[in-house]
Amino acid sequence: MEIEGGKISGSQLLALLVLTRLVPVTIEFPLVTGIKSPQDAWISSLVGTVLSILPVLLMVRLSLKYPGKTIIEYSQLLLGKFFGKIAGFVLVWYWLSIAATMLRSVGDAYTTAIMPETPILAFILVVGFLSANAARSGLEVVGRLGEVNMLVVILSVLLTLSLPYKVMNFENLLPVLSKGIRPIMLPTGTAISFFVEFIILGMVAPYLNNPQTLTKSSLGAIAISGFMMTAFTVVLIAVFGPTVSSLMLPAFSLARMISIGEFLERLEVIPMSAWTITVAITLAFFLWASAVATAQLLSLKRFQSLVYPLAAISVAFSILFFESFFDLELYFKKIWVPYSLTVTLGISIILYLASFIRGRSSASTKVTGLCHRNH
Amino acid sequence: MPPKSLSKFINFIFITAFLASTLTGCWNRRELDTLGFVTALGVDRTGEDKIEITVHIAKPFAIARATEGSVSPEKSFWVVSSTGSTAFEAIRNLLLQSPRRPFYAHNRFIVIGEECARTGVKEILDLFARDGEARRLARVEVVKGATAKDFMQQVEFELERLPSEGGQGISRSVQEGLSAEPVDCTLNSFLQWLETEGVEPIAVRIDMVPKNPAAPSNVGHLLREQVKISSKHGGAAVFKGDKLVGWLDEKEMRGVNWVTGKVRSGILVIEQPNEKGKLVSLEILRAKSKLQPEVKNGEVLVTLRIDAEANLGEMQGTLDLVKYPQAWTEMERKMVEAIETEVMAAISKAKELNSDIFGFGAALNRRHPEEWDSLKDRWDLEFPRIDVKLEINAKLRRMGLVTRSSEPR
Repeated sequence: MEIEGGKISGSQLLALLVLTRLVPVTIEFPLVTGIKSPQDAWISSLVGTVLSILPVLLMVRLSLKYPGKTIIEYSQLLLGKFFGKIAGFVLVWYWLSIAATMLRSVGDAYTTAIMPETPILAFILVVGFLSANAARSGLEVVGRLGEVNMLVVILSVLLTLSLPYKVMNFENLLPVLSKGIRPIMLPTGTAISFFVEFIILGMVAPYLNNPQTLTKSSLGAIAISGFMMTAFTVVLIAVFGPTVSSLMLPAFSLARMISIGEFLERLEVIPMSAWTITVAITLAFFLWASAVATAQLLSLKRFQSLVYPLAAISVAFSILFFESFFDLELYFKKIWVPYSLTVTLGISIILYLASFIRGRSSASTKVTGLCHRNH
Repeated sequence: MPPKSLSKFINFIFITAFLASTLTGCWNRRELDTLGFVTALGVDRTGEDKIEITVHIAKPFAIARATEGSVSPEKSFWVVSSTGSTAFEAIRNLLLQSPRRPFYAHNRFIVIGEECARTGVKEILDLFARDGEARRLARVEVVKGATAKDFMQQVEFELERLPSEGGQGISRSVQEGLSAEPVDCTLNSFLQWLETEGVEPIAVRIDMVPKNPAAPSNVGHLLREQVKISSKHGGAAVFKGDKLVGWLDEKEMRGVNWVTGKVRSGILVIEQPNEKGKLVSLEILRAKSKLQPEVKNGEVLVTLRIDAEANLGEMQGTLDLVKYPQAWTEMERKMVEAIETEVMAAISKAKELNSDIFGFGAALNRRHPEEWDSLKDRWDLEFPRIDVKLEINAKLRRMGLVTRSSEPR
């Protein structure tokens, strides 16, 4: 019995993962906000990207070890029904909370930047409803959306990065690491905490055309998004200097610095389209994952009927969790990093240890046997 | 396509209704003809702790009428002021007088009165960094010896209908042709200078210049050749922190530009070799600079290397360069001296005001962060004692279309 009938290709997975990672980059960019030594933010970004390879490879290995199974299924296999389901529900909660923060981010971004008097619900509802529709149509639709739109997003990010060339001053990047490693540790953690959202590939792995592309796609996604994020950080520092740490919407502010020949100006629409596209598609992706995960946890036959309720929950969370943009900023600064790292790294490490122990104790026959029985 | 079943039909209706509701537009919709485009904005502090904002709002109909061919006797902008306890309150209070909602996205100038700049501008600039409508690319300028309100109400320019266009044109020329004003004096740069260690902000200096005091007064009318007061852009307002502490004139400002490597063009006047009392004008082509700060025995030493190129533009006396080729190197030597004079004038003025507008401290921080860390707390004491070593390398490239001046028989 397959809950999700569709299959996606490796490049579609790559696109979805890149978009997932670019959501916080194109909107708030918590990595640079409030950072103590702003000129070193790009080092955090680079180091964070490199350090993220390890946990993501761990997630990939787990999925490759249990082909044809989602993380929800093999966690029950490894930890037993009870603890496995707890892990599953924690993941669903995690994804829904990400969905809620994404909705809130895009809503707050719109209301801060251009339409301060519009109720935030207007943006959240539209994005939430459209994403839920896409998620209901299944992974294939979401994957194709991602593949098509990734180029649009990358193009708009590159435009935002290159067009303000006149106001860039790369001397702002000096001195390197003058205040030591300490001030860049937390931002590095912030960078990693967004990369570990890639745990969602545990839901997609069984639905890949060719499971062997999983490693390549994940590492490719880390490389592409890591590069974009680092380039973004470098340009932001070059343009804004130490004031970068005070920016609420860095990509938006950056686009406002574009002025070419005094006629190519006011190009805020570029990052705004990037916000909307990244959030809408990533949201669809996370809604799909939580719906399929919930369906598997509750042994339902269809996940589609869960999508609208879950979307409604994340819309409600996005309103209830945060009262203001400031709350969201505080959440990213204080709660998000330990929360995200604990949930994803905790679950992956426990699962990996469990699979290691099981593999040893029963010489791997039991696990593979179980696998076959479930097919 | 007809819906196939009832549930699909309901879905269809629901989605159509939903999508239709998104087509109606947004809460914050503003039509063009309800907006008044602010082209320049002035800020002052008035007596009783209030902030006064003066804006120029473009009059679209007056501009349109003028472009249609007939000369409009009407001014193409409207000057209006309002006060409030904060800058934002003052700006919002403009609504009491303006039938169209002022719109700040096209504002190019933030003009600050001298008094206001001396008491500090941080409280005022925050609004323009925070607000979504204002741009960080607006230029920060300070009016010498007057309030921003006076400037905004009185100053007009020949050749341009909108003072903001005029100011922009003059600024561009002064930057490109004279190098006598700060190059990117935008709000973005100003805020960066404010926050960066070891550098103080500067802003463009404006002087009001009476043009034609005898002209008859016609309030509300701008007739050609009757601009009474215009302004001169050039030089710089020197800040220390967010407070104005002094002024640089045009020569001194070009000195600053030599130091920061931002000189683009300008005229250097030197004495003509081998002929007393005659002058030579050199047209600067391009310049580069390199700062090398270091700390030697506890003393800060800045080595400043300037490479400049110029063309021979004018010669008052008669000198056949083909006959006296040694005059060429002589002129290059005098060019070095001329640059040195400007640079030293700027440095001594900055030392006198004790404001590190060149960013010597920031340069030290970039090269030697540990040494900067030990110096930054007493930079105020160190900066006036800095030793600057100049290494100027001047090249004359071309001499124009003739080799010698015409000699009277």
